[in-house]
This record gives sequence, C-alpha cells and structure tokens, in this order.
Amino acid sequence: MTAGDHVIFIVDDDERVREALGELLASHDMRTIAFASAGDYVSADKPDVPACLVLDVELPDINGLDLQKQIREGNHPPIVFITGHGDIPSSVQAIKHGAVDFLTKPFSDADLMSAIRAAIAQDREIRSERAELGVLRQRYLDLTPREREVLPLVVSGLLNKQAAAELGISEVTLQIHRRNVMQKMAAASLADLVRFAEKLQIPVTHSRRAGNT
Amino acid sequence: VKRVWSHRPQFSHLGLFVAAYVLGCGFAQSLAIVPGTGISVWPPSGLFIATLVLASPLSWPWWVLGGCLAELFGNVLWFHSPLPAAFLMYIGNALEAMVGAWLVNQTCRRPVRLETLREVLASLVLGAGIAPIASATVGSATLAWFGMQSQTFAAAWPLWWIGDSTGVLIVAPLALVVFQNWHGETELSAARWVEASVLGLIFLAVAALSLSGYLPFAYIIMPPLLWAAVRFEFRGAAVTLTLLALITAVFTISGASQFAGDPESQKQKQVMLQLFLAISALSALIVAAISRQHHRAVLTLRQSERSLRELVETLPTLIWCTAPDGKPIYFSQQFRDFVGFNPEGKDAAGASRLVDVLKAIIHPDDLDTVDKLFAHSLATGEPYALKHRQRRFDGQYRWIQTRAAAMRNGDGAIVQWNGVCLDIEDQVRAQDELRLAQETHLHASRAASLAELSASIAHEVNQPLAAIVTNSHACQRWLTADTPNIERAQKTVERVIRDANSAAEVISRIRALFKQSVETRNATPFGNVIAEAHDLMAEEAARRRVHIDVCIESNLPPVALDRVQIQQVLVNLVRNGMEAMDNIGGDRVLRICARQMGDAVRTEISDHGRGIESPDRIFEPFVTTKQHGMGMGLAICRSIIDSHGGRLWTEKSNPHGATFVFTLPIETEVAL
Repeated sequence: MTAGDHVIFIVDDDERVREALGELLASHDMRTIAFASAGDYVSADKPDVPACLVLDVELPDINGLDLQKQIREGNHPPIVFITGHGDIPSSVQAIKHGAVDFLTKPFSDADLMSAIRAAIAQDREIRSERAELGVLRQRYLDLTPREREVLPLVVSGLLNKQAAAELGISEVTLQIHRRNVMQKMAAASLADLVRFAEKLQIPVTHSRRAGNT
Repeated sequence: VKRVWSHRPQFSHLGLFVAAYVLGCGFAQSLAIVPGTGISVWPPSGLFIATLVLASPLSWPWWVLGGCLAELFGNVLWFHSPLPAAFLMYIGNALEAMVGAWLVNQTCRRPVRLETLREVLASLVLGAGIAPIASATVGSATLAWFGMQSQTFAAAWPLWWIGDSTGVLIVAPLALVVFQNWHGETELSAARWVEASVLGLIFLAVAALSLSGYLPFAYIIMPPLLWAAVRFEFRGAAVTLTLLALITAVFTISGASQFAGDPESQKQKQVMLQLFLAISALSALIVAAISRQHHRAVLTLRQSERSLRELVETLPTLIWCTAPDGKPIYFSQQFRDFVGFNPEGKDAAGASRLVDVLKAIIHPDDLDTVDKLFAHSLATGEPYALKHRQRRFDGQYRWIQTRAAAMRNGDGAIVQWNGVCLDIEDQVRAQDELRLAQETHLHASRAASLAELSASIAHEVNQPLAAIVTNSHACQRWLTADTPNIERAQKTVERVIRDANSAAEVISRIRALFKQSVETRNATPFGNVIAEAHDLMAEEAARRRVHIDVCIESNLPPVALDRVQIQQVLVNLVRNGMEAMDNIGGDRVLRICARQMGDAVRTEISDHGRGIESPDRIFEPFVTTKQHGMGMGLAICRSIIDSHGGRLWTEKSNPHGATFVFTLPIETEVAL
C-alpha cells in the first residue's frame, strides 16, 4: 500500500481535528483530503482510487448520518464515523446503513487505523468487482444484435436445435453465432458464460423443458 | 237579575235556612215568658248574619226572600202581629243582617274564619253591636207606630237591641261553625274526645245546678264555659253557648231559674237574662279568639323553629356554639356525624369539658395553636379563624377551616360563640399536589438546563481534547519511525500545546459565567434579611411540621451584602436543615441565630437531624447526601459567602444534628 494508490477523505467542521487527523494519517503514510462541511465534500472533484470517508456526525450544514443516507445510492467510499458524544441510537443507525465503524472522540490511534484499513480494503474489493463488471459490459456491447438474442437462449440451457427453432434460423447458423458469442465474451466454457450473464443480470427467459412442450 | 238568578243557592240550603229561621222564631217566642214584655233573645238575627257573611252578595236576595217567608210564617204561628207591622219588623231584621254581614266582610279577610282576636272583636262589635241598631230602630218604631205591646220607642229600643245582639252573639258563632265544618274534616283525637265529654258533663251539671236555683249565682257557669273556649276554641265556645242558651231557656220557662219571677220584676229579670247570655257569649268568644291566636302563634313559632333547626342541621358544614366561657352548648348533626360522637355527651366537670372535646378531635400538633387562639378570642372577643386538622369518626385527620364569631346582646356583652367548621381537606390536598408538581417541575427544568449546560461544556472541551490525543499519536509515530521526523513531531507538539490552552480557556470562560458580581451590594440590616428568609420558608416549614426558632441579637450593625444571594444561602441552609429532620420523630425545631462577633456577624442554622457524615466533602460540587439532590446547593452557598468575604462551615449540634455557620464581615467604611 503506497500513498499514491488510495486516499482518505476527512469531513469535520473543527479545523484542529482536521489538522490532527491529517497529521496522524500522514505519519501512517496515507494521503488525505479534508473538507469542513458535507457540502464541500459532495461538490469536490475526488480522485478515482480506493478511499475511505472519515465523517464527523455533528456538521454545520447537515448531520453526518443524513449525509450517509443521501450518498448511499452513489458510488461512495465506506464511512468511518467520528463523534463528540456518541449515543447508542446514532451508532446503531450508522452501522445498519453500512458504516465500517463509529468512534467516539477522543479515539485511539489503533482503533482509527484499523477502521480505516478495513474501509479501504472493502473499497478495493468493491472497486475490483465494479471494474470486472465494466469489462463484461463492454464485451456485451460489442455483440451484434443477433448474438445478443442468442446469448440468453444459450445460457438458459436450450439445445442448439431448440434455440435455432426459437429464432427461426438453421442449427448451423446458430452454432456460428454461439461460437462468436463465446469468443467475444472471452468465456472459456459455457459455465463461464452463464456466470457472466448472471453478473450482467441477463434474464434466463427459457428452459429446455419448457421448449419441449 | 240574570246574575242574581244564576247565583241562586241550592233549594235544600234555602229550605234548611228557612226551617232554622222558623225554629229560631219559636225559640224567641218561648223565651218571651210574660206576654207584653217583648222578645228577650232573637236567634234568627245570628243565623241571618252568619248566612249572609258566608254567602256571596249576589245570592243575598234569595236569603232575604227566604227569611221573609220564614218570619211571616213565624208571625202567623206565634207573634200574631198585623201583617204590615210584621213586614216592617222583618225589613228591620233584614237590614240588620245585611249591614252586619257587609261590615264584617269589609273588615275581615274572606273567607271569614275568625282566627285572630282582631277579627273576632271586629265581628262582635260590628255584628252584635252596630248591626242590631238597624233592627232595633226599625222594630221599636214599628211597635210604637202600631201601638203594639204598649211600648214606647225609648223603652222598646234597648230591649230590642240587646235581644238581637244576644241572638247574634249566641247563634252566629254556632252557625259559622256548623257551616264551615259541614263536611266534618276536623278529627278529634281520643284524648280530646274524652276531654270534650268530661267537659260537657261538668258543663251540663254546673249549668243545671246553677240555673235551676241550687246554686245561688248563674255566673258560676263561667269556668267550664271558658275552659271549653280555651281548649276547643271557637267550636267549643259556640256549642257550649248554644247549650247554655237552651238550658237557660228551659229553666226560665219552667220557672226554676233566677231569671224567672213575678210579673213586676219580670222585666228587670229579662234584662238580667239577656245580660247574662250576652256577657257569657262575649267572654267565651273573646277567650276562644285569644286561645286560637295563641295556639296559632305557638304553631307558627314551632314551625319556624323546626325549619330553622332543619336548616342548621342539614347545612353541609359543621356548626357549633359555645357559652361565652367556651363551654360547649350545641353541635349540629353534621358535626356529630363528622366526629362520630356527641360532644355534648362528653361529660366532665365544668370548664374541662371544652378541653376534653378539643383533645378528642383536634390533631395533637394543632392542639396548642387552637387552644391559644381560641383562648385569645374568648378573652378579647375577636373573631376566630384557623385551619387545622380535625379527627373524623373513622380516625382520619382532615384539614378543617374553622371560623367563629361572638354573638352579642344589646349591651354588647357576649352571649354565645357561634362557629362553623368546613372540611377543606380536598383543597389543601390539591394545593399540596400543585406545589409538589411545581417543585418537581422546577427541579426537572433545573436538571434539564444542567444537562444542557454540561453537554455544551463537554462539546467545547472535547473537541480540543480529541485534537490533542490525535496529535499526540501522530507525534509519537513521527518520533518512533525508522527515521524519526523531528520537524513534524515538533509541529504536532506545538499543536498539542495550542489545543490544550484552548481547552483551558473554555474552562475559564465557564467559570467567568458563574462568577458572582459585586455591584449590587448594599449595607442592609441583617435581621431583616433573616426575617424575609423566614417568611419565605414559613409555609414549607408548616407543611413539614418544623418549628423555626429565630433569635437575632438586637443592634446588629448593617452588613454590605447582596440581599438576594444571602437570602438564597439562608433558604438553602434552612431547607437543608428541615430536610435533615424529615425522618425523625419528636420535636422538629430549627434554630436561626445571628449575633455580632468581633468585626463580623455570625449566623448559625442548627437542626436536630442525623448530622453530617463527611463534613469536609459536603461543600464540594456534585457531592450530595440527598436522593434527588444535585449537590450544587452548598457549593454555591460557599462561593456566595466567600465572595462576600465571609466563611461557611459546619459544626456538630448538641446533642445531635448539624449546625451550619457563616460569617459576614461588618464594613464600617461602606458608603450608604
């Protein structure tokens, strides 16, 4: 892990706390970007690298917990909450909505660092999955319209004959399309293709048995 | 005429009237013993007047017509006067009846009941005195005109008048009684029947003996006659008078009575007879009227007394009376029900009775006050008012509001003490609950503001603390790295110092917030401050049943102080003392003493509670021995006293309990 390959966002209205956190994380060889309010954080351009958001609960514009709810839908890094006086309901709410940890000021170096490391690891995971999905999407977009019709039938488990009948083409033509699909999607086997289709959320519309009857 | 026709009386009544009239004529004739001496008693006049008095004036013509028929018939039977003379005499009689009835009706309220002496006297004077003048004048003139019975006008007039008058006196009452009691609605009790029978027998015997000449004097009949009048009133008088007239008539006719004699003395005897009957009738009727009036007055009195008593007994409050010396006289039913016994029945000798009653019903804690205050009122005559607890029949003590005032006679001397007690337990309880709610509310809001305050203090201090801790961790890492980064470590240490200072500044700002101001201090008589604090706490003390004993040395010099703050200290210490005695039995006395000691005023507040376990810690903030206390009271007290240049500490009370002592310096140079 090097300073260049991840970043820690700090959102706290107290400058002294922002400074101190920046210093501590710097001593751990981590890159930080600090914001004084939720609004600054949301509107800023942020580097697209694995990250972690260290978020104060009491903020001047909106509450940290509310910010968590607002950005839940978008791609945002995992959150580590810090608060001056943490109460149990807030912490429960934060954790339920996916926060990595909920720390009460003043917190220890070890607690903070383990939470941040866990958060970054989590983000790295999410990112790699997201990247894989992006590659698959691109491959899917490269398919011809006919090949995109063939794909669901194949992953549904229809025999070539059945699939050809479904599309009203000859079995030989279907076999050609099928080979092209496997090639373009970089699937080594039918099992691979099925897994990709699942990730792309391509619905299984037919079954071999249903086609027979 | 139509109206007169429509007011025609029933023929049966008219017939009875005519029959009675004829009988009356016969009676009159039978009493006129010696021919030529005229009529001695004329009963029809009484019947006639009584009838017209009760009949409606529009029906009078009918009665007059009936009377005319009856009298002319009597004339045919007995008197044998010439028809014109008889008719003229009847006109006189009718005139008499109408005049009498009209006068009586004008004077008395209708219907005529003859219940008061005034009514009876008026009826007697008008009916028996004035009305006969008409018939006597007309009749005597007729006799003289026709030269009948060889009478002159002057000789006949008195006889005629007294005859009619006696007739009215004897018959009119009887007739009224008979008419009015026709339906017999009045029932006599068995005892009254016996009395009436005995009286009747005695009356008959005396009358028979006295009038038949065995007894020398006819007036001996008076006692039984008056007895009847007193006991049976109008009815008794009417009946006995009729009996008397009949008996007299019988014995006079038979010649046995004193009123029968030879022809020479006959005329005088006849006058004596008429007088006898008239006087008897007059006496009996007046006595009957007096008796009736007395009886009615007694009934009215009894009625009003009963309704008054009912009022007093049923008023929803406890009513009592005592003699001027405080000896209980009367307790209302409500009072007796409340206490569950009759205090009048508490028998003991004389003055100790009041004490006994009070002891039995007043709460022991209030007994002294009640005793003193009541004795004070008895001595001075001032009204008495007090709230105290009183024992109910079920043993429960209820709050009672008592008020009493002296009742004085015309000379201003006290005759009696009258008092009321009102059960105010519910109000007192409601007030207590309200006060409790207020206190709870106050406490809650105080706690809430303290919580708010502490949250804000915590936040203010926590932020720099968090920064300090984080910076320290960073510093540690810079120093312990493989190649220590001294420069950055130095920077973080600078930040640590900066943030720690800012936390300290927060603390000192908060202290400044609570610092006492010194501007409002004035030289104040210290006794007044204590008295005011005592007043403030008086009610709470009463509620906690604590007696506050204040002793202030006279001539205390003025002390420069902030009155509100020092009162706050006093109230706090007094309340602490009272609270300390909440759970002890026996006397709850709190002493406040102030005296000069050197150049300071020393004030002591001592209780008899359990005392203080750790006297050295009690002034520290947030240290408390109370369940709900915040532990700030004594800390604030000490800081107030300190800021006044005085000292506050505790000592042990003798034999137990705690004493809080504070001193305040006397500032001789203070500007007034």
